[in-house]
Amino acid sequence: MSDKLAVEFKNVSKSFGDRKVLQDVSFQIEDGKALCILGRSGTGKSVTLKLMIRLLRPDNGSVSIETEDIDRLPEKDLSRVRRKIGFLFQSAALFDSFTVADNLAVPLRHFERNMSAAEVQNTVEELLAQVGLENDKDKLPGELSGGMRKRVGLARALILKPTLLLVDEPSSGLDPITAGEIDALLLKVKQERHTTLVIVTHDVREAHKIADTLAVLDQGCVVGYGTLEELKGSENEVVRQLIGES
Amino acid sequence: MSSTPTGFFSFVGGLSRFGARSLVSAVTPPYEWRFFLIQIEVLGWRSLPLIAAAGLALGVVTALHTRGTLVSFGAEALIPSLQSASFFNELGPLVTGLLISGRVGAGIGAELSNMRGTEQIDAIEAMSADSFKSLVVTRVLACIVVLPMLTVFMDFSGLLGGFFSEHMASNISLQLYMQRAFSTVSWVNFIAPTLKTCVFGFIIGAVSCYYGYTIDEGSAGVRRAATSSVVLSSLLVIISDVFLVKLIFFLFPGKAL
Repeated sequence: MSDKLAVEFKNVSKSFGDRKVLQDVSFQIEDGKALCILGRSGTGKSVTLKLMIRLLRPDNGSVSIETEDIDRLPEKDLSRVRRKIGFLFQSAALFDSFTVADNLAVPLRHFERNMSAAEVQNTVEELLAQVGLENDKDKLPGELSGGMRKRVGLARALILKPTLLLVDEPSSGLDPITAGEIDALLLKVKQERHTTLVIVTHDVREAHKIADTLAVLDQGCVVGYGTLEELKGSENEVVRQLIGES
Repeated sequence: MSSTPTGFFSFVGGLSRFGARSLVSAVTPPYEWRFFLIQIEVLGWRSLPLIAAAGLALGVVTALHTRGTLVSFGAEALIPSLQSASFFNELGPLVTGLLISGRVGAGIGAELSNMRGTEQIDAIEAMSADSFKSLVVTRVLACIVVLPMLTVFMDFSGLLGGFFSEHMASNISLQLYMQRAFSTVSWVNFIAPTLKTCVFGFIIGAVSCYYGYTIDEGSAGVRRAATSSVVLSSLLVIISDVFLVKLIFFLFPGKAL
């Protein structure tokens, strides 16, 4: 595996009004590795993900994707960088009025305008088969269970073969069996496609299964960073509480 | 809308900028024709049954009321022309504006706010697609385009309702009713009031999209966006109507009724 950096946060701060969500956060993720960001609710985990795809912009510091500072990129170049990033949102964020197949086709129609309708359909069906939903392509999101919605969201996030996959709370609201299925899919993506993963989660067991490195956020700061074994020796109270659950 | 003066002016400024941005984006390529046509169908075509039913009922009721008064003066022959004058000039445009602000305004406010809350708008932007253009501009433009069309539909439904009422009361023929209805109507009385509903459409589209696109407060936010969209757009439609009527009188002195 190369040592090329997929993501780099340098002294990133972000506030909403008077509320400081991230304070001077720095970390790096190597290409093809998986980082799990752990922390209690409201500690800035989802904000960290949104900064990586410039859905939010930092007040200070820089966020680089494959060495490009995305905060400084013009729209055209930003689109090129976003083309390489897949995002599985916490709620899956499926378009309510589109069928499952149309939801998957949206990124293809946006980024791959030269693709024929038949190619789009084939790619969509291939991805749906990979997540086990090949018989549900004509359903609307409202007809799907929580786990199925997550799998459709994951298929949509993967349809452009991203080199970086951002995943927000993959197991939230799911039963342990379904959550395990989603984790298995993420692990397969990492192992077979060598996709860099950044996963925000509360679940230390999930992090342990997928991650190469863990980052623990508390009150907007990184209070622990390393492998699970390294973090077990941390003196920080929050890190010990979180890791202790494992 | 905030109750403090600063909050009020901040809201008015935000809404004005939002509306202006939607108009500028509407004339700037690329154009989202596919989403625009979908909105024409959703906002316009699906509103037709409501407009037809309301127009027919209103036509019957106004004819019944007018007959009661005019019969005592022996002037019931004026009922068709009074019907056409009232529908073409005011009832058609205003009632259509208010009905659409209720049906469409609430729908847009709730739909966009829900999309914001469930991260669907973030998902669009994560693909570097312009969510403002595909969600807001298409809806505002569709409202501007469908309002005059629905108004014409309301006008003629109202006339038809009036005819049914008169036919029952005096057995008047459709040909004679329409001949009398159009005898006093000039193009100015029809086109200017119909086109003023483009302004109503802009108000309804811009206000409801503003609430829906900017409110992100979960299910409470969806409710607030829907309610506020209807209340403010209805109020602004009525207020703007006062100025538009004055403008029509100013532009067509002596011709406008």
